[in-house]
Amino acid sequence: MNADFEKQLQGQPLRELPREWRDEILAEANGARPSGVRSPGAVMAHSWLVGRDSVEPKLDLPGKSHGSTESRPTLSATADGLPVQAVSTWPSLRAWAGLAAVWVVIFALHLTAPDEPRLARSSSSATMMSFTRMNEQTLMMAQLLGQPDQADAGEAPAALPAPPKPRSEIARKQLVG
Amino acid sequence: MGSSPNIERLYDEHAPALFGFLLNLLRNEADTYDVMQELFVKLGRRPALLEGVRDERGFVLRLAHNAAIDLIRRRETRERNYQELAREPMALFAWSADPDEQIFREKLAEALGELPADQRAVVHLKLWGKLTFEAIAETLEIPLNTAASRYRYGLDKLRERLRPLYDEIK
Repeated sequence: MNADFEKQLQGQPLRELPREWRDEILAEANGARPSGVRSPGAVMAHSWLVGRDSVEPKLDLPGKSHGSTESRPTLSATADGLPVQAVSTWPSLRAWAGLAAVWVVIFALHLTAPDEPRLARSSSSATMMSFTRMNEQTLMMAQLLGQPDQADAGEAPAALPAPPKPRSEIARKQLVG
Repeated sequence: MGSSPNIERLYDEHAPALFGFLLNLLRNEADTYDVMQELFVKLGRRPALLEGVRDERGFVLRLAHNAAIDLIRRRETRERNYQELAREPMALFAWSADPDEQIFREKLAEALGELPADQRAVVHLKLWGKLTFEAIAETLEIPLNTAASRYRYGLDKLRERLRPLYDEIK
């Protein structure tokens, strides 16, 4: 039964290798076609699905050693030593140059722009003005409330206003005063 | 083996066997083409690879197997499930004018696609590559017993799957 079944399976002929593949593959293997030019299927498979370090199969057959010092180019290495995938996904020189030029322009504009220090200065002076105003208001409030010690100390801007007292106490003071 | 193997001779001698093996493993003609091209480009550019190789067929089959497994693993993680792809109907065998034979071949291709890739590789090399278990073990870098057991399991599954058709044809 087993032998019969095996023979039955073995008797099924496999599909033939497409003849047109021979010329294409041998042309590639002999370097007739530039390395960077590949079939669409190959480009798709290797630029997107196969990593840079991939397709090279393991070659460490028993009795066949490969020296570690020997360089092992990937199967898809181009003539200049770059993997095909790297070439196909590498941006062009023009793109890099354009990007660099844009950055140079941005940097130059950044250096020549005079507004930023002014803005910083004006913002700091605005802070000082509001601080002075707050002090004046504090003094005015102290004078209105009849606190002579704080009114005398009006020249000391660093003094913080006293914490507000209960309304009842303030009202009593106003009545007494 | 000479120091500069003729790439055309290598192709003519081994490409048909590689084609069937890779097609059965990858279940995709474009992938088969890509792996074969990579393999022959490598052999063409580095003829020294074959220096000292005793079993040339086994060596190129091993290269092809490793490249195919590498491709399957990468695509499994990135694009599609190869197990599902393997179950899709595909023309692995030659077309037959006999309808019964043709149906059997189609079902056989389907049944092979349902096998795990490691069993499929062993079954293919044994049945259609006509390799011994020793040669299969060396080619696939597995122990001899593993090769034999994978073949047995794979064949059992094929028999179970194809029994009605096989009985009919027989």
